[in-house]
Amino acid sequence: MKRRNSVLVRAAAALMGITSAVPFIVLLRIALSTPAGMSSGRALAVPEFQIANFARAWELSRMGVAIMNSLAITASALVTLVVCAAAAGYAIARFPGKFHLAVLNVFLFSMMIPGIINTVPLYTLMRRIGGINSRWAMALVLAANALPFSVFLYANFIKSMSREIEESAIVDGCTWFSAFWRITFPLLKPVTAAVVIVNGLGIWNNYAQAVFFLQKPAVRTIPLAVSMFFQQYGARWNMMAAAATIGAAPAVAVFILFQKQFIKGLASGALKG
Amino acid sequence: MKRPASAPAMLRKAGSHLHLLMAVPALLLFGFFFILPLTRGIWLSLTDWNGVSKASFVGLQNFVDFFRDPRALHDVLITVLFALGSAPLLNLFGLAYALVLDHEFRGRNLVRTIVYLPAIISPLIMGYIWYFILQPQRGVLWQIATSVNPAFSGGNWLAGPRGALVVLILVNVWQYVGMTMVVYLAGLQSISSEVIEACAIDGAGYFQTLRHVVLPILLSSSVKINVITNIIGSLSVFDVIMALTEGGPGYGTESLSIYIMRMCYGSFTGYSTAVALVLFVIVLIPVLISLGFFRSAEFEA
Repeated sequence: MKRRNSVLVRAAAALMGITSAVPFIVLLRIALSTPAGMSSGRALAVPEFQIANFARAWELSRMGVAIMNSLAITASALVTLVVCAAAAGYAIARFPGKFHLAVLNVFLFSMMIPGIINTVPLYTLMRRIGGINSRWAMALVLAANALPFSVFLYANFIKSMSREIEESAIVDGCTWFSAFWRITFPLLKPVTAAVVIVNGLGIWNNYAQAVFFLQKPAVRTIPLAVSMFFQQYGARWNMMAAAATIGAAPAVAVFILFQKQFIKGLASGALKG
Repeated sequence: MKRPASAPAMLRKAGSHLHLLMAVPALLLFGFFFILPLTRGIWLSLTDWNGVSKASFVGLQNFVDFFRDPRALHDVLITVLFALGSAPLLNLFGLAYALVLDHEFRGRNLVRTIVYLPAIISPLIMGYIWYFILQPQRGVLWQIATSVNPAFSGGNWLAGPRGALVVLILVNVWQYVGMTMVVYLAGLQSISSEVIEACAIDGAGYFQTLRHVVLPILLSSSVKINVITNIIGSLSVFDVIMALTEGGPGYGTESLSIYIMRMCYGSFTGYSTAVALVLFVIVLIPVLISLGFFRSAEFEA
């Protein structure tokens, strides 16, 4: 569907870009202003550049701890997710017996259940196993929530792969497991990328579960730290905006660095689904 | 050397019955952190548990209470209205954005990146950013509006429940339009250029081609994915409302998932799991209906 060089298209695209960019500009503008700079009637005044706001907000919001927690939880959740989902997807795709068909159906059905529904009973379960305020338990919960879609993606992808390389490895004396691990798993990179990107984003930004399970300041993730900071420093907009900017920065940086993979992963993840 | 028939047998031999173990880690993880709480939630929904003392069985009382609670029913309405506003707008704008950005021009990738950027950021943080813009007095939009026309000074977009809901829907659409766009773009790119050229040779205009060729192809892939994910996502909306209105004014923009959290913390734990099950049914019905619709549409195509 391509019609080149239309002025209308460029104008529409420019409008879209501006619409999406304006709130970010506003955020930076407030984050860089003095406390008086954002009071009534000053929104259109000359922008200020109080870079020191970021250092102050970083300190007050203890964002460093939160970023480390978000990193630890996201990384461990994703590793668990990829290992479990790839193995299960492989078993489902290559050994389609009754057992694996049942497993697939359980996952397919669960895809329709939003995570929030489970949160309350999960909370009581977590209390019993000492999982409240535990980064590990949080990571496992988030990995479990992301399993259905990921298993489905892996199973679909592996079904469409040729078996021949695996077989020849087995003929050459490889065990079936090392054939999977050494031959098949590396070929799964495109799905793994999709799984990591789609779920990584959701896990990194998770708030609805985190607000239940992570209550101590020491284990807080970025969304929690930002929301706590907002409750404490509600009136100081420049500090709030600076904290929000810091909170948003890691995801934006990763997105800009890995843009191509991001879009590709999201699109292929979605279309395979 | 093709031996498709012997392949599973060969894999099986090489690993004996080990393959049955491969799905076990996933099952254990999922069983413990998803299925177990789910079944426990079904049990809890039939009790009067307050989160601390011993639970006793009350049958379907929680569900009866739910349908008698005006706040709960109001929250159902808010949740459904939010989804009815969000899902169609997201698809409409997502498709329009994709159609525009499918054209080739300089700066196209930059625009795609910028449009996608909001979807990267936590909806909670995004909600706060919009708060800076929409808040009366200090909010940027309010300041600009009053400087253009002082009559705006009494305006507050978040004060009335209806207006606040519209704002929440628009913020949600603004944030996730990039996500739906990417899925539509992928769908558009999977349509071969020969098909489009053939339409042009047959003398079909842009909108004719769009309606009779492109949209039917998109229906079974991109539209399906977007509609299903948007239904599930918007019916369980939580973060953006917490950040922008906290469900207020009063409980004017409270969604069911926020109600669940408040009831759980408000020592109505058993009741809150019953509400969660109601929410599940509210999600399931439109998902199953649209899955059925897409299935029959595929048969027709």
